[in-house]
Amino acid sequence: MTLQQFVNRVFLIDIIKGMALTLKMMFRHAVTRQYPDEVRDPIPSFRGRHAFVRDQKTGKEKCIMCMKCSQICPSQCIHIEKGKREDGKMYLAKFEIESLRCIFCGYCVEVCPVCALDLTEEHRYSSYTREECLFTRERLLSNWDSLAAKWKEDTYFNKFWRPDGIDSSKMPKAKRELAPIPLRVAAAPPAEIATAKPAAEAKPEETAQPAPPAEKPAAEEKGKETAQ
Amino acid sequence: MDTNIIYNGFYKLIGITGEPGVLAMTVAILIGIVVVLAVVLLHVAYATYFERKVIGHMQLRLGPMRVGPHGLLQPIADGLKLFFKEDIFPATDFKTVFRLAPIYTLFAALSSLAAIPFVSTFYIANINVGILYIFAISAVSTYGIIMAGWASKSKYAFLGGLRSAAQLISYEVAMGLSLVGVMIMAGSLNFIEIVEAQQTHWYGMYLIPQFLGFFVFAIAAFAETNRVPFDLPEAESELVAGYFAEYSGMRFSLFFLGEYVAMIVMSSMSVLCFFGGWTLPPFLTNAIPALNMIPGIFIFIGKVYFHIFVFYWIRATLPRYRYDYLMRLGWKVLIPLALVNIVITSVIKYLA
Repeated sequence: MTLQQFVNRVFLIDIIKGMALTLKMMFRHAVTRQYPDEVRDPIPSFRGRHAFVRDQKTGKEKCIMCMKCSQICPSQCIHIEKGKREDGKMYLAKFEIESLRCIFCGYCVEVCPVCALDLTEEHRYSSYTREECLFTRERLLSNWDSLAAKWKEDTYFNKFWRPDGIDSSKMPKAKRELAPIPLRVAAAPPAEIATAKPAAEAKPEETAQPAPPAEKPAAEEKGKETAQ
Repeated sequence: MDTNIIYNGFYKLIGITGEPGVLAMTVAILIGIVVVLAVVLLHVAYATYFERKVIGHMQLRLGPMRVGPHGLLQPIADGLKLFFKEDIFPATDFKTVFRLAPIYTLFAALSSLAAIPFVSTFYIANINVGILYIFAISAVSTYGIIMAGWASKSKYAFLGGLRSAAQLISYEVAMGLSLVGVMIMAGSLNFIEIVEAQQTHWYGMYLIPQFLGFFVFAIAAFAETNRVPFDLPEAESELVAGYFAEYSGMRFSLFFLGEYVAMIVMSSMSVLCFFGGWTLPPFLTNAIPALNMIPGIFIFIGKVYFHIFVFYWIRATLPRYRYDYLMRLGWKVLIPLALVNIVITSVIKYLA
């Protein structure tokens, strides 16, 4: 044992060093966030609550019923039903996401050829009933509206719409050409949805913000307009 | 006639002059006990809050914040929760012992308070062998832990109880020897006389001449109160909760109270024997005479709180000792050190 070791051992130098460290830490600012009072901004492209992107032109979802999302879903929580109109056209009869089964892998967002689905940055959406966690088409659209209302920037783009490492020339056209979506543009009145929506689904804080009677030109020059 | 302000105030209130009768004395002592218990138990409640805050801030957390402003009502919420929790019994054959153990622990801790003078005019009993009384009672407190460990019918609790027995007995020796130096210097076993003897020196604290004794006493006090780094009887990571693993609700909180009261008693003993009790060092009061205006009770409580803070500080810093290290430290380091201290002190006292 050297003299240095002996002195360290007798005078408990290491313990005193440790004590000095903890004392110093006591006067430092705590790193705690007081969660319900101080909410942290979500990290961009956080995979949270599901939403349907509301199309600026039609005021409805963009889904083309290709079924890719429900096939790729590892937990098989996306249920899609197609319907047929009298004129032979297909329409989306049912689109449901069981968010309680979802594992938030984001495959559905990546695979969607028209970028209709989105996992939004909203992460606080727990509820007391299972029904509220079953996202129907109307709920998914209203989720988008509540995100649009809260979003701080004027445009929105989820990086999983165009995943890294894939040659963008191999992507479908809608995906390849998707520009950041302007959120401050007034959308066209969602006429069909408003009538189809059952009253029971309306939740007070999540009701879609009432779309003002839209100026039709908004759809054509959507990139420029940043009204309101 | 006693110098105790509570007793004298009571006698004056009911109009007794001269020697009080047995009945009046009993009532006066009961009043003193109620006052001390109420104050100490309130301090214990807030000692838990203080602990969580101190350790929290040392770990860059905030500690309790949600119950009341800055979590100030947390101890009350904890107490209510423990009070209303279900009282679970393990499948033990020793239900009586199981019931008695927490009461016994708390009783041992609380009865130590009887001999501690908080200021020269406020105490429950001023006995001439105060130090010995507290040693005796703290030795008895081991029984509560052994009883709890034995009656719980659980391997963890039993191991905790056994460890506690070995640990407390080993460190009792070191602690007793460490205070012999103080007794030699003061020439008394009475706490008030020890404090007054410290005032005769310019430094006003036996901490300075008796640093060796204080070192041994401090370490033994940690072991005696089962605090980190010597919390082997309740080692969370090894023994779940040690001797009180099987306890819940109110019985659990009695152990908790006992532990914190023991901590306050040990701190008070250290304050009385090494830090000059309710007095400030004469060289300080001579330099700044305004310091004489501070009431002794605040000086005493301030010193006790400093000790309690050190308990928490150590807890936030050091890991737990290994069991064989603990025994080696107790028998091979602390006891010889204490003996050396006694020899040096008595030689100097004899020559001086």
